[in-house]
Amino acid sequence: MTKVGIPRALLYYQYLPMWRTFFETLGAEVVISPETNRSLVASGASRVVSDTCLPVKVFCGHVLDLADKCDYVFVPAIASLHMRTHNCSKFLGLPDIARAVVPEAKVLDVDINTPQGQRELYRSIYSLGRHFTWNPLKIKAASEAAWQAHKSYLSGMVEGGLAPPNVLDGQPHADGAASWATIAVIGHPYVIYDDFINLRLIGRLREAGVKVMTPEMVPHSDLAAGVVRLLGHPYWTYEDEVTGAGAHYLETGVDGIISVTPFGCGPDSLMQDVVRRNAREPYHKPYMSLVIDEHTAEAGLVTRLEAFLDMIQRRRQLAASPGSSGRARP
Amino acid sequence: MKVGFPHMGDVWLPMVTILRGVGVEPVVPPPYTKKTLSLGVRYSPEGVCIPFKLTLGSMIESLDLGAEGIIMAAGPGLCRFGYYAKIQERILNEQGYHFDMLTTELFEGKFIGVSRFIKRVSGGAPTTKVFGAVRLGLKKMDALDNIERVVHKVRPVEAVQATATKIFDEAKHALDEAPNAKSVDLVRADFVRRLAAVERNPQADPLKVGVIGEFYVVLEPFSNMDVEIELGKLGCEVHRTTFISEWTKFSLFLSILGMTEKGKLHQAAMPYLKRDVGGDGWETVGEVAYHAGHFDGLVHLAPFTCMPEIVAKNIIPSMKEQIPLLTIICDEQMGRAGMLTRLEAFVDLLRRRRDAQRKSGGLVRTAAR
Repeated sequence: MTKVGIPRALLYYQYLPMWRTFFETLGAEVVISPETNRSLVASGASRVVSDTCLPVKVFCGHVLDLADKCDYVFVPAIASLHMRTHNCSKFLGLPDIARAVVPEAKVLDVDINTPQGQRELYRSIYSLGRHFTWNPLKIKAASEAAWQAHKSYLSGMVEGGLAPPNVLDGQPHADGAASWATIAVIGHPYVIYDDFINLRLIGRLREAGVKVMTPEMVPHSDLAAGVVRLLGHPYWTYEDEVTGAGAHYLETGVDGIISVTPFGCGPDSLMQDVVRRNAREPYHKPYMSLVIDEHTAEAGLVTRLEAFLDMIQRRRQLAASPGSSGRARP
Repeated sequence: MKVGFPHMGDVWLPMVTILRGVGVEPVVPPPYTKKTLSLGVRYSPEGVCIPFKLTLGSMIESLDLGAEGIIMAAGPGLCRFGYYAKIQERILNEQGYHFDMLTTELFEGKFIGVSRFIKRVSGGAPTTKVFGAVRLGLKKMDALDNIERVVHKVRPVEAVQATATKIFDEAKHALDEAPNAKSVDLVRADFVRRLAAVERNPQADPLKVGVIGEFYVVLEPFSNMDVEIELGKLGCEVHRTTFISEWTKFSLFLSILGMTEKGKLHQAAMPYLKRDVGGDGWETVGEVAYHAGHFDGLVHLAPFTCMPEIVAKNIIPSMKEQIPLLTIICDEQMGRAGMLTRLEAFVDLLRRRRDAQRKSGGLVRTAAR
């Protein structure tokens, strides 16, 4: 049986159910790389140039790990999913980067650019499916099953208030009943759900008795409306999970927002900045920006997290005390 | 309305011509200085690339000179560059500047789109006037780029250093003052002649060095610390494919016919990078493959954290075409002395490599990049 490797990095958190269903329906065996760990990051980082962002370094580590475990490593090039939006260059050239830096892996790529029309989309899917079967009907059936799996994955997260790791890896839904504050964590799924990259940020927040909200818990239409509110028109393919989620959580009553950005992230350098500026004016919402890379130290993160939570607690006390305006000093 | 714009290389020349031609008063910000850069850095998001910071600083300087509108390119299909204008407008508003951000979508509408945009800026100038102004502006840019190509050839062989650069500066002013297409032709011919007459150093044996990389840092000498002038001083004949006039010619006219400005480069890049990754990443990979045979070396310029160039940088080492390549990352932390040292070392390497090649009468493989 053909073995297809799916790296547990980058778009894995968004699309795994869809990809897995597609390959399995076509009779392939899906192999998923292990959770990110130190040696994976080190091996990935050793292959790429130093100013590559952490998520891509991690991704290359996963590809390297899969290289000798399977026949193909699946690396899609997702260019655009909506009219007039564009993806980060590193996503556009991901298969080419993977081929260049991990020559030992056999890369299976597919170009997804939905504004080019359905015909082109089906053609790309067909050329991907051709590696497994000659029968176009089988490929069509597999892509439809994959799409269903994707839809139920998305709606499951929105309805259940779940994050991708709960669904993908069956992690227990850890939010206790007693939480004293709600914090939104915004950022790309491959940053906020990879516990090695973000040093277990969400787990730490939950341990501190905080209810954590993430972009995946918001229906897509609300995220899109948020982008329109802040910017008018989305620019990036994955604008929703940052600007959209930021806009959504600025309006709804969370106590604070933590944004997580990999160092050197091009799209985030501007997207997170839009949210940050709006958090200050007009929303007056506590906002903390965490910039992470492979050198991020645990102690520094913990200190900043504690300070942020202390600030939120004081703000709440201030709001609860009579006679105050309910707003901390600007 | 007084209209300003941020600097990018010599783009002020056609811009001023076009704006004056349609009866708008242009506000040309002062040339880039450390002050412009620190203004830009102060108000920019930390992680953004150098072109954002420089253009923001330049916008502040033109607003301080009384500009009521700022012309800026925008629109999807690039890298984060297309997102600049929105954020810059917001930043400037927060700093108390209120003005019209006049954005034009670079790839849409081609020549007609640009003319329509200029018409909007001018508040409805007659279309014939707009066409005439745009044509004259593009003609000046074309003439200047033609002169610059000659300057690149003269710099490494001139007997007295900086002669060609001085003549080039004069050419910019002469072109700025040229009132019509005919006088532009005369100025071009005159300066090409003057450059040809520059006294040469008989011992000069220039190396051929290509300058490749990201559009903005290649075209804006302040952002790359005059790398082309420095290469010239070190005896290198600079070759570059990125010229504003080339780019406008293709993106405004020929792309309608399905011709892309760098089709050859894309073809050369195909074995390594099959897709357009935005910005100039595809072209950078293509230029390495394309020029490997006939240049002595390449200088690759990229802003720090530039996504397309990082893709290119990751792909270049695995290419089978081998050519010495020096990547210079441009940002506000860049120091002139460090850049010059690296450049000198690189040129030394190229010279020694060429000498070895000449001696052995054939190609010498580079051991390591």
